[in-house]
Amino acid sequence: MAALGAGIALLAAACGSSGSGPAVSAGAKQTIVFAESGLGTEGAQTQTAINGFEKANPNIKVKVDVLSSDSTTYLAQLEHSFIAGSTTPDVFESDVTYPAKFAQAGWVLNLASLHPDMSQFFPTEVAAGTYQGQTYAVPWFDNPEGLFYRTDLIKTPPTSPAQVVSDAEAAMKADHSLKEGLAFEGAKYEGAITAFLTVDSAFGGKLDPQNLNTPGNAAALAWLYDAVYKNHIAPTAVTGWQEGQVQAEFSSGHAAFAINYPFVEAIPASQEAPAVVGHIGYIPFPAGPGGTPGSALGGEMLAINAKTAHSAAAWKFIEYLTSAPVEVARAEATGDPPSLPSAYTPALYAKAPYFQNVKVLNGYSQPRPVSPNYLQVSTDLQVMLSSVFANTESPAAAIAGAAPTVKSDANATPSS
Amino acid sequence: MAAEAPLRARRPALRWKSRPPGSATTARRTAADRRLGYLLVAPVLILLLLVTAYPLIYNLWNSFHFVNLSFGALPHKFVGGQNYTKMFTSSAWLAALERTLAFTVVSVVLDTIAAIGLALMLHRKFRGRGVLRAAVLIPWAVPTVVSAMLWKTMFDPRSGFVDYFLGALHPSWASITWLNASVWRSWTVIFIADAWKNVPFIAIILLAGLQVIPTDIYEAARIDGAGTVETFWRLTLPLLKPALMVAVIFRTLQALLVFDVIYIMTGGGPGNSTQTLSFLNYQTFITSLDFGYGGAISVMLVVMALVISYVIVRAFRPRT
Repeated sequence: MAALGAGIALLAAACGSSGSGPAVSAGAKQTIVFAESGLGTEGAQTQTAINGFEKANPNIKVKVDVLSSDSTTYLAQLEHSFIAGSTTPDVFESDVTYPAKFAQAGWVLNLASLHPDMSQFFPTEVAAGTYQGQTYAVPWFDNPEGLFYRTDLIKTPPTSPAQVVSDAEAAMKADHSLKEGLAFEGAKYEGAITAFLTVDSAFGGKLDPQNLNTPGNAAALAWLYDAVYKNHIAPTAVTGWQEGQVQAEFSSGHAAFAINYPFVEAIPASQEAPAVVGHIGYIPFPAGPGGTPGSALGGEMLAINAKTAHSAAAWKFIEYLTSAPVEVARAEATGDPPSLPSAYTPALYAKAPYFQNVKVLNGYSQPRPVSPNYLQVSTDLQVMLSSVFANTESPAAAIAGAAPTVKSDANATPSS
Repeated sequence: MAAEAPLRARRPALRWKSRPPGSATTARRTAADRRLGYLLVAPVLILLLLVTAYPLIYNLWNSFHFVNLSFGALPHKFVGGQNYTKMFTSSAWLAALERTLAFTVVSVVLDTIAAIGLALMLHRKFRGRGVLRAAVLIPWAVPTVVSAMLWKTMFDPRSGFVDYFLGALHPSWASITWLNASVWRSWTVIFIADAWKNVPFIAIILLAGLQVIPTDIYEAARIDGAGTVETFWRLTLPLLKPALMVAVIFRTLQALLVFDVIYIMTGGGPGNSTQTLSFLNYQTFITSLDFGYGGAISVMLVVMALVISYVIVRAFRPRT
């Protein structure tokens, strides 16, 4: 580990002088580097969009730098470039939880000088790209996590958390091919936090690092715990499940309900069990007394390297990728939900009706805490959730134990 | 065959000693040889200094400074022993230390016992011994990340074969969640995956040690009426000490720095119950980008490795 640290430091020393050169105007002939994690359909669709951009802007070439599809590795790769003071990537894809951290470190460009029109995007994702009142990242696509259910087994969508339990129990009794009533992300990773956040506001909870131990948050955590250990609608196997496994459980017809991202709706029918095809409902997690319907914000944003000499061209590229026609084309090809409310049109619904559900969820989606220290906060929350899902701590004890650590890590400054 | 190795090893030393001692030519020759020797090892020495000594020294420097790359614009000011104070008073570090030491002791003891058994078996003459000796090293050649993924898949409650076989024995064992659902089950799987990877390597070191033990002393012991168990305790084990020392040092250092198998299988969970020092160090370096505090944790790991290695060497030193 020491060698790794010194290696990064060496890299920084080697590239430390590579600050930004004179700014290149958008009209000049130039090449910009775009870092993204997309593979498969998403990668192909990005290339299609780049082809369109290069055709419209013949002087600007875009070189794609495909980084890891694993989010932790992707983040590390970006950080290493920034720490080394590299001028590339000029523009990059960023998870909604990264911009505040990058902004604090001075790695991303403040977009104020480029006058972005942020009013055209869903406001929750705009907030994720804002740090100390300044905009550092632009929403690219918007992934609201919600509750999937089998419409053939559950005729009317549940209207309360208690009804989710009773519907799941009834479905398990009626259909013995079901292995569980509910599947959710319970592995020790970031997805467990979004699963919790999806349920949280239904109980009146709020994921506020300054005040974690609230009755609403405790009730939401207790509901997930009870789902595994009291009501037995979810198996202990959830402790190993990420969104991929949750999707597999639901698509293969093993689960009546699943908490997951919209991509589940875009799975081709050929990869679904016959019973599931055409029987997918997608709603915000239903609210309990004192709560509001729940959804967690996921998604990707676009940002510009603070050291780039090609900020004008990079901005043109961002504007192109986030224009309505390009977002719609991406949504149709990959299932990535547009970040522009104006992109949700009857034409899009005609090709992919499930985007109507996504639009509804976008209205409820809650962001994770926007903080430069979010990754440390995330680590604390993952420990809390993992302890509860493994039944090594009660929900009340876990949340009481985690609250001071979360607060302290969220407020940590260089002097503390 | 086994008794020949020490004789071969002595031959060069005898040739060296055959030169006439004290002559000026010999002295000049020795100095020239020494210079040539230094010259030949210099490139490797410089490379080693660059890739090993530099990181260690730079890390030591970091551990006494504020170096958090999340605050790239802030100066790397000297903070004295602040990072060390933070470490020694951190409940997370103390808990990780406790887990790491417990893991080290248990895995070294169990793996060494298993490796001795495996080495003794491979030392016996049987059909297919050569193939088995080669095959036994395969787990060691598999990257830890790959072997951890394999074991994680095998222990998966839905698709793994472990629960499939257990379910055949008893229906209630058909869907046991091993990882992250129980502390002891998580550790059990970690120990199994770690042992599968490391026992063969230790066994091969011990096998090399067994092969240099002269066979005539076993014959003498047999003539004197020693049984198998007595022969093992009073002959094999004492004569295996040098190889055992090397094996235990290797295994201890591996166990002390255990990271990848835990990263892949549990991510330190459930909660923090499988978080070891290396895992904590990873989080400090990579998640928090705190190279000052991470440096202090690394330096402490190096100190621990040195102290433990010294203790092992002392423990295995022949008593005169």
